[in-house]
Parts: sequence; structure tokens; C-alpha cells
Amino acid sequence: MSDDEQSEAGRQATRRHALMLGAVTAAAVVSIRPALANTVGSVLNCEIPVPDAGRAGNYIAADGKLVARNTPGAFPPAPRPFTGEQVKNAMQGRSLPGTSPQQSQAYTAYIRRLQMGQSGFTCYQSLQNPRR
Amino acid sequence: MGGIVYRADPPAARRLVTLDALDLIYHVPSGQTHLVSEPVPQILEALVAGPADAAQIVTRLAAAHDFDPTGAEAVIAARLEELEAIGLVWRA
Amino acid sequence: MRHHFSVRIGPVGFRIGSAWPGPIQTLRTLYADYPAPADGIADFTVRLEPGRPWRRFIRPAVEIRGDFTLPDAAPLPLAQGLLAAEMGMNLQMALGQRRYLLLHASAVERDGRALLMTGNSGAGKSTLSALLGERGWRFMGDEFALLDPATGLLHAFPRMVSLKNQAIAAMEAEAPPERFGPLLRDTPKGDIRHLRPSAAAVAAMDAPAAPALILFPRFGFAADERTVAPSEAFVRLTQASTNYVALGEAGFASLSGLVTTVPSFAIDYPDTASAVTQVERLWAEAAP
Repeated sequence: MSDDEQSEAGRQATRRHALMLGAVTAAAVVSIRPALANTVGSVLNCEIPVPDAGRAGNYIAADGKLVARNTPGAFPPAPRPFTGEQVKNAMQGRSLPGTSPQQSQAYTAYIRRLQMGQSGFTCYQSLQNPRR
Repeated sequence: MGGIVYRADPPAARRLVTLDALDLIYHVPSGQTHLVSEPVPQILEALVAGPADAAQIVTRLAAAHDFDPTGAEAVIAARLEELEAIGLVWRA
Repeated sequence: MRHHFSVRIGPVGFRIGSAWPGPIQTLRTLYADYPAPADGIADFTVRLEPGRPWRRFIRPAVEIRGDFTLPDAAPLPLAQGLLAAEMGMNLQMALGQRRYLLLHASAVERDGRALLMTGNSGAGKSTLSALLGERGWRFMGDEFALLDPATGLLHAFPRMVSLKNQAIAAMEAEAPPERFGPLLRDTPKGDIRHLRPSAAAVAAMDAPAAPALILFPRFGFAADERTVAPSEAFVRLTQASTNYVALGEAGFASLSGLVTTVPSFAIDYPDTASAVTQVERLWAEAAP
């Protein structure tokens, strides 16, 4: 046991190196966006349901996670999917149509957390292509 | 006391490839790829030991790395916000 | 459909159906030396159809349809039916290809190793690949290169080279007239003429090659070159791939492997002669 501790300390000592933390304002992540949108042309025809159909019984909490219905502070599912254009505007500050500001924030938080395989993921990804 | 506590997936949820001064992270659950610079990979490694806030992460980083501690917590907090926005960490 | 034609281009089989005979006849002539799809089974179907039944006869307009389609795409006049068929095949690849990582790049091969060229429209990758194909290189494709995630090898997709505007005259001076399709004027992309790859390129189309050099060419600038770091090459290549995200972890491993093992350069060139000189020199250094 003490041999392990010693070699662990030895490993730690040799592992020390100078770490560049960077500035507070210096972004450190670039996320890869799908290029398909460039080929597909008008991206704004796609739709994002909140939540996706398989989880329609759940409510959406303020941070975008899905929770049981009637969880305090959570919002019901959106009655119909949002279009790409509506979501794009919401990402730029406007509320999603038919929602209060808090509800819109919860929905957009849900959309930001979408993962591959969930409805609307590709639509959301393609919205984030930079304008050319 | 204490800032926002974050957690991350275990290391098996990510694939890391070092390119040059930048690394690539493929996040398996989301299928997303991110190009990242220091100290992002180090922050994710620091979270392997469990959820932590910015101050705790600074402490964990200091155990293995040399850096100027002035303002470090603010920098780490800013990076954690960035990572949260892309789904690599979330609030515990 | 009334008229149809099936062909294999590299590892991909297509069946093109058409309400009009003309485009099918042109395709048959241009692709005469190409094989049929493996086991007679097409991977993708393209259909050239009138939007409304009467548009088959009155101001005939070709809608590009198939397994995959762009609902907002505008139809083309029948005179550009060949272009519609080629665009239809490209669209199936762009939207439907899942077996290979699809790179929007041209490729040529020498000694079993491949040179990849990628960039925006008009950058010259298509013309350069056609030209190098007449200068001792084996032409692999001008639009798409297929990277096999399992092996890291590049597979050829040698469809008709789509020459645009000035490139048409440049290549008419290099290749024999029987290898050219009809001149299509005033298409959405300007004047277009298709060039059939050489017999050697078609015969070798099933031979993959190991990528050895990646170039980002820019036509119309004073000759210049710079090294492109792997991180930059990676991001630019994800933007040159329509199925990188869909391929998930295999796509990630494939592309990160490519940029960490193959050098990348950005080259500016004022004319094709200058480009060929730069290419040969960089190739000699990268693949001695």
C-alpha cells in the first residue's frame, strides 16, 4: 500500500505542468455544426417538438429537463412543434410564440439539451450554422 | 458560500483526440463534436472525482498543474458556463 | 418510369428513371464503359419527373426526385436534363450516404496514395482534379471522395466531371472531344459541360488509395501557400462533409485520424499551370 502511495506521488510530481487558463472572456470551445444545412437550402422548414413525441407526458422544468407532470414550476408540453424560424428567433431573444418569457426560456433550455436521436435535434443543430 | 456545483459524464462518455494546441472532444451521448483549448480537458478531468464548483475545481487542478491562482476561479467559472451551454457539464 | 438507366459509380449503384428519353440516352452514352450496380441492386434511385402531368410536354420542366429530395428545389428545363440527373445523384449521396464519410472534395491518385482537394465552389478543386487526371494522375472524383471509417482509405467516385464556364475551354484543350457531353448554357451555375473520366480512371475505380496530402486551393490569387494546422483542417473538413454528424463516433474517429496523419496546405494560384507546379512540389515532400 505504501509503495502504491509513493509511486502515485511520484507520478503526480512528474505530471505537473504549466496550465494556460486563458482570459475569462476567451471562449474555449467551438462546437462542430452539421454542414448538411448548407446543402439542404432552406433550413427554416424544419420543426422541433417540445418535448419529442416519445416523452409527451412529461413537463419541462426551467432548466429544460423533463420532469413529472405537475412538478412545481414546470411547464406543460408545447401544443404544437415550433418551426426552425421560431426557435432561431427565440435563441436571439424573442419569446417562442404563445409562451410567457419563463416558459419560452424553459422550452429553449430543453431544445439546447437535445441529443442525437431525439426529434428536432438535427433541426436545432442546423439552425446554428453561421450565416454565409 | 460556494458557487454553482456542476457535474459531468464519466470519462467513458467522451473521446479525446489531441490535434495541436487544441483538442477534439466527441461527446457520445449527444453525438456532438467540440474543438476545445486548455483548460477545458483539465476541467473535465477534475470533475471525474465528483461534482464540484469553480473553487473546488481550482483546488483539484492545483494538485497536478502549475498556474497563476489570481482570477483562476473566475476563469474556471466562465469555462463551466460555456461547457454547460453545450451540454458537457450540467448543474448537479 | 418510362425510361431508365442503372449504373455503378465507385461503390455506389444508381437507378435513374425519367419521364423523358433524352436525359437517359445522354447518360447511357456518357457512362457507356461503367459497370452496372452490384448484383443489379441500386443503392439510390433518382427520378426525373414533370411537376404537373402537362409539364411533360408544355415547357417541359424536370423536377429532381428520388429516395432523397429537396422540397424547395426549383425544376430545370428539359434541355438541362443531364444536369438534373447529375444533381439528383449528388443529392442522394449528400443526403443518404451512410457507409462512407462523404467529403465534398476532389481526389486524384498516384502510387496508391491520394491527393484530396477541398474548398468552396469556384475554388478550382474540380478543374484541378480533371487536369491532373490528364497529367499522369488517376482521377478519383471531382465532387465527392468517400472515406472508409473501417480502413481510413479513400474510395473513388468518378462521376462525370462538371466543368463550369472558363474551365470548359481549359479542359477542351486537354481531353479528346468524344469525352465531352453537350454544352449546357445558362444553367443555374452558368455554362456547364460534362467531361467523362478517362478509360483508365473508370477501370481503376474500385481501387482505394491511402490519403497522403490535403489541399485547400483558391483560384485567382497570386501564388502562395501555407501549412494548415490539423485543428483548422478538421473544422474545414467537417464543413465539407454532409454526413459527418450522422456517422457519429465512426465519423469522428475517421476524420480525426485523417487530419492527424495527413498534412494539409492552403494554396493560392493564379492559373492552373502554377497550381500543377505547386501540387507536384508539395506531393514530392508529402509522399516521397
